[in-house]
Amino acid sequence: MGEVPLLKELYDLYKDQGVVVVGISLDEDLKPVQEMVTSKGMTWPQVQDADKSVRKLFNVKGTPFYYLLDKRGRIAAKDIPMKKLGGAIDELLKKD
Amino acid sequence: MTTQKTTAMRAGTPAVPVKTARFAGSVLGFTLLLTLTGLLPLTARSQNTSVKPDDREVDLVQAMVQQSKNEAEEFTKSGGKASDPKHPNLKWAAKLWSYRRKHPGTPATTIATAEALRLLYRVDRISEMKLKTQTLKLTDPAWKRVTYVLLAAANKAKDYSYFISKAEALAHGAVDTEIKARARFMIGEAYWRKGDIDQTRIAFQAVLTQYPETALGKEAEGNLWEIEFLNLGQPAPLFERNTINGDPISLAGFKGKVVVLKFWGTY
Repeated sequence: MGEVPLLKELYDLYKDQGVVVVGISLDEDLKPVQEMVTSKGMTWPQVQDADKSVRKLFNVKGTPFYYLLDKRGRIAAKDIPMKKLGGAIDELLKKD
Repeated sequence: MTTQKTTAMRAGTPAVPVKTARFAGSVLGFTLLLTLTGLLPLTARSQNTSVKPDDREVDLVQAMVQQSKNEAEEFTKSGGKASDPKHPNLKWAAKLWSYRRKHPGTPATTIATAEALRLLYRVDRISEMKLKTQTLKLTDPAWKRVTYVLLAAANKAKDYSYFISKAEALAHGAVDTEIKARARFMIGEAYWRKGDIDQTRIAFQAVLTQYPETALGKEAEGNLWEIEFLNLGQPAPLFERNTINGDPISLAGFKGKVVVLKFWGTY
């Protein structure tokens, strides 16, 4: 299964358990982003970072790239592979 | 291009170029196809006089590299060990090095040189790799690629001393500005991997100061920022934006929730 269907599965599983997913697209044009969001059913909030300012804030060097933040907004994981994301979220939900 | 994606959950490790990580797996799948088709079109194309000789030589070397990968894969599949003196990497390293001797200073030789050294470290022939590396002068254009191979070898062995000494020599004495700047930048990466944050800062700061308006200078600046503010356990930088549907979104507003930020692109 591809990256997006896995994230979609994860999002559907956790969205009512206190987990937020935010997509940050580095595209310069909005149209392809909207098209992909619709066609792949990406129902979580999407930000278009056309000026790359959010990317710069997080020093993202390539995509896809995941950051995971705990309930206090601290960085819990950076550049975490998709397949480890679910387990890491479980751990963080147990903590304050 | 071979970079691994192993930085998750570790503090202070440099983020590796993520794109390349994803390609590593598919390269293997590709290999078999190229075994069958790779060498044939090459001989056909070498008859075509409209192709520049440099390009033809690059194709030739790349076909050799591909062939070496195929043979190494077959060898490993049939139970061959890296330490085996019959490992195909040794034969191909010798062939690529002899190509280098016959064609000094060409773009194809830059590839041949780097790939010969890569074949050696992949089967842990580190002293032979170093002996060959020692023969390269600081003016050799092959350094452009060789530095990457030496850093990969250092990552594999978790021993950065040789890489750092060679890269220091280049950062001081290389004639090509790009090689010089890249060497200084990679010293920063090596110290970062090693966990020596003071030296990491010094190296990236030097890149930023000496090459301020370059892509590498900006990358160094981003890394300096990451070293200070993007470590595990630190509060994530806050941002407020509107979503593509026009709804305001603020990271500070997600306190009490676990947040996944996915940076992505349709490209």
